[in-house]
This record gives sequence, C-alpha cells and structure tokens, in this order.
Amino acid sequence: MKISYNWLKEIVETDLDPRELASRLTMAGLAVDAVEPHGDDQILEFDLTSNRPDCLSHLGIAREVAALSGLQVRMPEAEIKPVVERTGDVTTVEIRDADLCPRYTARVIRGVKIGPSPDWLVRRLEALGQRSVNNVADITNYVMLETGQPLHAFDLDRLQGRRIIVRRAVDGEKMTTLDGEERELTSSMLVIADAERAVAIGGIKGGEDSGISETTVDVLLEAAWFTPVQIRQTSKALALSTEASYRFERGTDPGIVSYASDRASALIARIAGGEVLDGLIDAYPGRSAVEASFQPILFRESRYEALTGLRVELAEAERILTALGCRVRQGSSSLASGTLEVVSPTWRIDVRIEEDLIEEVARIAGYDLLETSLPGSAGAGAYLIGEDDRRATRRLLTSAGFHEAVSFSFVNAGLDAQMSSAAEESRLVLLDPIDASQSHMRTALAGGLLRALEHNLNHGSRNVRLFEIGKCFQANQLEPDGRPTEIERLALIATGARNEFDWQDAGSRLDFYDLKGILEALADQLGLAALRFDPGAEIPWLHPGRAAMVSLANGDPLGSVGQLHPRLVAGFKVRQPILLAEIDFQRLLAAARVEARYNQLPKFPTVVRDLALLIETSVTWQSIDETIRSLNLTHLVDLRIFDIYRGRELPEGRHSIALSLRYRAADRTLTDEEITAAQEQVVRILTMRFGAELR
Amino acid sequence: MSDRIDQLREDFRRESGEVTGEQEATALRDRWVGRKSGLLTAEMKTLGRLSPEDRRLTGQLLNHLKEEIEQELELLESRFAAARELAQLASEQIDVTLPGRHLPAGHLHPITLLRQRIEDIFVSMGYHIEDGPEIETDFYNFDALNIPAIHPARSRQDTFYITGKLALRSQTSTVQIHSMQRRQPPLRVIAPGRVFRRDTPDATHNPMFYQVEGLLVERGITLGDLKGTIEEFVRRMFGPQTRTRFRPSYFPFVEPGAEIDYSCFKCGGTGCRVCKGSGWIEMGGSGMVHPNVLRGVGIDPDEYTGFAFGLGLDRLCALMYGLDDIRLLYENDIRFLEQFR
Repeated sequence: MKISYNWLKEIVETDLDPRELASRLTMAGLAVDAVEPHGDDQILEFDLTSNRPDCLSHLGIAREVAALSGLQVRMPEAEIKPVVERTGDVTTVEIRDADLCPRYTARVIRGVKIGPSPDWLVRRLEALGQRSVNNVADITNYVMLETGQPLHAFDLDRLQGRRIIVRRAVDGEKMTTLDGEERELTSSMLVIADAERAVAIGGIKGGEDSGISETTVDVLLEAAWFTPVQIRQTSKALALSTEASYRFERGTDPGIVSYASDRASALIARIAGGEVLDGLIDAYPGRSAVEASFQPILFRESRYEALTGLRVELAEAERILTALGCRVRQGSSSLASGTLEVVSPTWRIDVRIEEDLIEEVARIAGYDLLETSLPGSAGAGAYLIGEDDRRATRRLLTSAGFHEAVSFSFVNAGLDAQMSSAAEESRLVLLDPIDASQSHMRTALAGGLLRALEHNLNHGSRNVRLFEIGKCFQANQLEPDGRPTEIERLALIATGARNEFDWQDAGSRLDFYDLKGILEALADQLGLAALRFDPGAEIPWLHPGRAAMVSLANGDPLGSVGQLHPRLVAGFKVRQPILLAEIDFQRLLAAARVEARYNQLPKFPTVVRDLALLIETSVTWQSIDETIRSLNLTHLVDLRIFDIYRGRELPEGRHSIALSLRYRAADRTLTDEEITAAQEQVVRILTMRFGAELR
Repeated sequence: MSDRIDQLREDFRRESGEVTGEQEATALRDRWVGRKSGLLTAEMKTLGRLSPEDRRLTGQLLNHLKEEIEQELELLESRFAAARELAQLASEQIDVTLPGRHLPAGHLHPITLLRQRIEDIFVSMGYHIEDGPEIETDFYNFDALNIPAIHPARSRQDTFYITGKLALRSQTSTVQIHSMQRRQPPLRVIAPGRVFRRDTPDATHNPMFYQVEGLLVERGITLGDLKGTIEEFVRRMFGPQTRTRFRPSYFPFVEPGAEIDYSCFKCGGTGCRVCKGSGWIEMGGSGMVHPNVLRGVGIDPDEYTGFAFGLGLDRLCALMYGLDDIRLLYENDIRFLEQFR
C-alpha cells in the first residue's frame, strides 16, 4: 500500500523525514519496503500484515505516527453546510440482510457538475497509482485513501424509485458491473438494489447503469460497513477484487462511516458544486452487536512482565494505549492494583485480548528494549529416533558416490503407477495441482529419481548416482485421525562407469551387483543381519531376469533392487544399464540390530581349500550356499565364490564355479583327513542335488 | 716363490680390472678361489711338496693373497648387486603424478547440510527434534493454530487440498500442536520439514520448500528468552559477531509476534548484495505462543508461557550459497549437487 508523505503530514505534523519515518514505522510493525520520490513528494510503500486493515489509509498511518511521536492527529475538514431540504424526503434506505451489512448510510448532493478533477487531486491520486476518472468518482477514491472507508456514488436519477435496498441477491440474478462485465450472482452475495434491480455488488463494485456519468446532477453517496467474510467469499467467487473489497474483507472501521461520508460530501460540494441535503440517513441495525464486540479488556502489569520480561509503569502503558485510540480506565477497586481496563478503538478489530494489548504497548515502547536471556536447562536435547542411522546411511551412500536428491512430493501419476507396487486405490490426488502433470502424491521415490536421472542424462552427464530419503503416501492405510499413512523410503538410482576417474578401468560399467552390494553394505553399516535377496521376476518396472526382492533376515519385505526394465528407458539417449533400488527405510531403521559380541581370536590356523565345479547355470548361488551350509560342517568357517567361468569348451547350459572353503577348529590344528572328508561331503551333496561335476 | 705369488697377484688384478658384469665376477671367483678348480686352490695344493720352512713362508703369502682376492671379489660382487637392485627398481618406476584410485564421494543435498547444522545447534541447547505428517487435517494445519476460518491461507488458491479436510501442510507450525499433545511442558522442540504452498515455480518460489519450526513452553518464558535464544542460534550459525533485531509482526498463532532479522553474514551489517543494502536479513516469524493455541492443547496459559519461531531453509540456502534460482534445489542436477559440502 502506498502512502504520500505530504498528504500524511497534513494529518499529523511529524518532523521526521520520510526515511526516518519509514524506519520508525518498520520497527513498530508497519513494514515499509521502499521510499520513492515522486515529484516534490515521497511515496512510502508499505507491506502490511493482514491484522492491520486500519492502516490501509493515510489516517491510519497518521494515527501510528502520532502514537509513536506523541503527536495529535488532525482530522481533515469535514464540515457540511446543508440546505433545508432533508435527505430523508428524497430517498430511503432499507437493510434486509443486516447480518451482511450492519450499517449503511446515504447522503444526497444535489446539482453537482461532473467534470475533470482539479490538478492537485489528479496529482495526488496519480502519485498513489490511481487514475483520475471525474471529480466525484475521484473524491470517493480520495476519501477512501485518506480514511480507509470505501465509498460509492450513485446517480440518484438512475435509481428506480430513488431508493436503496440492501439485500441478498437472488440465485441467478444478473448484473453488469462498472467494468462492463455481466455477472451472475448467488443468494450468498449481497447487492445494493433500487426498487427494481441490483445496482451494485455490495462493498465490491458498482453497477454500470447506476453510476456517475457526465449527465449526473444528483448524487447519492454510499458509505457502509459490510461484514468481512461475505465480502471475501463473494470477491473470490466472482474473481473480482477491488480497492473497496480489499479493505472490507480485511475489516474496516464501523465508527468512521459517517465521518467519511461528511468528508466526501464536503469535498464534492466544494469541488463539483451542488448542495448537500440535510441529514445523513444512517441505517445501523448492527449497532448494538458492533458495540458489544468492543468489550473492556484487562491489562495487567504482571502479565506484561510475564510475557515480555520487561517492567512497565502503568501510567506509561496507559499513555501508549490512549495514544493508540483506546479508552483506558484504571482498574476498578475490585481488581488488583496494577491493572487497566481498556476498550480498543473501533478501527482496531485486531485488538481483542490482553496479549494484543501487551503487544501494542511493547511495540510502541520498542522491541529494542527487550533484554535477552537464555532459558535455563530443562533436560538434554535429542535427535529424532533413528537420526544417527539416517546420517550413517547418508555418509555411506555419499562415500559410494551417490548425490542426495530431493524431489517434490507430488509426481506424475503415470510414472508413479509404473514404478510403484502401491495399489491403485492407495493413490492420493491433489484437488488443484500447480502442474496438472504432477498431480499425485508419490507412493514411491523411484519415479522422481528416474525423472532426475533423465534430466541429468539430457544435460550431458553419463555417470549418475542419486539417492533420496523421503516420505511416500498411502491412502488405503489411514491413521486414527483419518490421515493417510506416510512411509519414509529410501531409493537409489545409478548408471554409468563404475569409477569414471579410474584411468585403468574407465570402461567398467555399474551393474546389478554394484547396487546390491550397496544395500548389503548398508545393512552391515546399520548392524543388521544380512539381507535376503530373492529373484524378482514379477516387479513390473525391473528387468525380469535382473531383479531381486529384498527382505530383512527375518523375511519382512523391504523392497527391490534391479536393472530398470528396458521398456521404461526406451526413449533415453543412453544404452547403458540403469540400476534402481527402493526400500521401506522406516522398516530398515526399525529392524532388530545384531548385538556386537567378542569372539576369541583363532589360536589355530585356518585351512583354505578351493573347489571348481561344473554346474547348471540355472542353479542359484543362494541354493548352493544354503545346500553346503545345510551340511552343518563343524569346522567350516567361511564359504565364498571367487569365480564364475563360462566357456565354449564347457557343456551347453553349464558353467564352472570356483568356491573357496575355509576350515578351522578352535582347539587344534585340523588334519588333512578331516578336511578332505569335509570337501568330499560338499562335492557329494552338490553332485546329488544339482548334478555338479568336479573339474 | 714370492715372484710367483706377485705374478699371481698381478694376474688377478688385471683380470678383475677387466670384469664388467655380475656373471664375469662369478666366473672370476670360480677361476681363482673355486673349491675344485680355483687357481689359488690349486696353488695351495702344491704346498705339500715344499720343505717345511718354505711351506710355512709360502703358505703365509698365499693365504695373504687369498684374503686380498676374497676382499676384492666381495667388493666387486656387492657393487654389481647394488647395480642390479638399482636397475630392478628403475624398471619398476611408475608415474606417481597420475590420479590416485578412489571413487569421488557424492554430496549431501544443501538443504540436508543446513538442516543437520541447525539440528546440531538446537540439540546442544536442549531441544528435541520432532517430525510431523506432511498431509494434515484442517485441525492441525489451521484450527489449532488459531488461523481464522476465513483466512486466505486456507483457500484452495494457497493450499494444496486432497479432500475438503486434508491438505498438504502449509507450515511446520503444525508440529507445535502434535508436540504439545504428545508431551507436557517443559518442552523444547525443533521440527524441520517440507511444507507446501500453491506457488508457481520461479526463481524465488517453489510449490514445496523446507521450514524449521521451534517451540519452547515452560514456566516463566518471555519474549526476552525468545530473543536470547535466537541470538544464540544465529551466533552459532553465522558467527559470534552476528546481531539480532526484532520487529513487531503478526502470525495468528503467536501474540505478541515478531519478525526476526539478523545482521548480514556477508557484510556484517554495512549493506551488500546479499542483504540488498539493508545490512539485515529476514530470518522468519516468531512470537509468544498464542493463549488460544495453548488452551487448545490443554495447557494453561497462566501457568505456562512459551515461544515459537520458524525459518525457511530454502531462502537461507539461497542466501548462504548465493543461488540465483531456487528451482535448482529440486531439479537434482548433479552438476548442482556436487557443489555443496
């Protein structure tokens, strides 16, 4: 909102220059964003908080300046010299819906001459970014900028029956507003009507064929008070926001209505000629309700100190509150001493409780008086449960070359559906997405990471590793209060060179086992038992032959890891495999930890025996591993695979695997016979189960 | 006889002087002192034929010569062994200026970096880190925060709704309510997290961003405690010289309310591009917890007072790292991400 420094000075005689004034007001809670010169004037640009509609005018800002500087506000001249003829004899006002319009005043100015405004008026409006229309319209604008009270001028002769009816619109009722738009109204909207039709949308905009024109002679001047909620709703419903609606929906001063009417009438008589009829028609059915809403509020010295940590003299608090327009009484004898009874002024609809008064006194006294202190200890701080594991995870993944991604929580519906195992009915849809293609709450992280990968590939990166930790949403599982379940998940995506900076092995590409290895390392880092990986041919977004279901050692499912299905990346520029893993991170964090326990270091040597076997390629390592372990060989301490060889000289459908078995006894050196016997058992069972042949 | 020995010495010297390699040195040893056919060995064998007198004398001379020859041979051999080792090492030389073999580390997202720093500071000041849902009911998102039924923030224009009653949270202040319901005062809580507003992305806006909410409710807490706490935080975050300024402001869930500014970490308050010349940077909103909010969760505002504050991580991130476009934060371009540590 813009305020003219010169205009302001007419209402309060501050000797602060515009910049000092801006700084004082900013520190009192009325933020001035900029001070710009305009001719011989300076314009202050305010960024007001929504609780201060009283400051949407020069008078409002002047009151603040006065309270801050100990000055008096000088109300602009509003003296009327009415003629004998009475307003009430010329027109009437009937309020049918007082809940939406508690106060409506009308005044009639006869015999005006519509024409251009005088230069000073045009300049003043222009300085504040307002276009001059004609003298009467300009005056209503001017008085609104001055007092904060929006006004509307009707051409009395164009009001059917020369009367005003304030009522709800009829559903489907149509009206053309001043901007030439025909608008369809509903019964929740308030209109100003004459005897036959709506002539204005109450508090928002006038009608086209009832307003001031060059031929207007008699003016009916409206000054009213509308309840904010309805104005906001109507303005939104009609997508019509005006200077008037802006003020009414935030809350105008019900007490200034008649003064603003007088001020505008006086100016019209002076500038546009004409005579003001005697008496203001003041329909004020809401008077008692309005007055009842300004009840005395208690201000306690002790409460002030409790909230601000500052002491205040009661007299000083009284001075500040009085300067802000409050009516203040020393606490009555029935109350403890050190209290004030305060009634806030009609323009301060935001001052309702004691804490509001405390802020008023504190801000005028100045927040810079606050003495800083640190609250004493109240116990030790704590991170979120699992935060140490989250940080360990992040460290591990960054050490493995992964950058951390953060994606929007809403994703493309199709992409999410393609890359998530969530059921269709578990998807949450935004009612009003910013981008219609990003309308679904993510059920998995994979979609976002694939998008990110694509972005990186499109920008020339070939070696990309990203991970994300974040919440995903499920509508088919609800919390007790009806919210959908939120699950923290972890996803990784990787493609390209295993290590692009290894100049001896730059051609080596990341594959399934790299990503699987990271999950294994993660489980180890977090102190979990080894994860399970089972073939996952049914995961729609992964290559059916290169995918695994991941689960905890106890079998609880975690997620999946694998190479992306070629179909999903058919449009990508690169042909290299893309690896993706996604798991329920929450479940991983909650999984039981293996307790660390000391094992005595071996006293006797470990014997290593290798074994090369020809075996069907379809026999999985897991089945070999489990088969050998099922023998429960007493001294077998480790079993590893160290090579897989496929060669043309080998029989069709078979490959050669090389195993390394380590044997050790705790109490002696093993004999050759013992180890040979164990090796023979291994070969026998593999031969029996899988038809393996010793090479 | 001694002539003969002198002759032998001379012969050896001549021959050893002609040795140029390790193999020749070995041959020389064999030729002279080899156990079977060494010249000197053979000479020793002739001693038996001499008279005892001559035998003693000649034996002494021969032994002397043998020592000399052995010494000379060892010298020769060690010289060649050293040369061989040197040659071997030279052949093994590598270019140590070639890059070492390590996988370059990935980087944490700048929002995570800042969030962790802020969490560390507040945990050390006795705060509990808390978390809250990203999809909220009207009650937590607005009602319990004393946000009036007609407040524009509630509109579908500003807030992402999923149903009439469920929306993406528009501020982390929602966690204040969860925290106060979960635990009794005294309580100190920091809640970082994502929030959502219906802003079209541009250089300074995203429909999703991060906030950090702080809440402290105890007996006898004042605005001075709030200011002191913020001062402590900004000093630890931006350095001990950082100053704090409070301006009155309005947020429905606090009263009195204050906007927090801190002196610019770049220029120290003299005015620069980071602070747009003002010397101050806006941190966020704060204030004393509104009595309606306390009452709403069953805390007696006459017994307990508290303060709350909030700050935006994205903006802080943009200022601290000099980002000119915050859309970059959520594009996950590795050329962007690898710049932060």
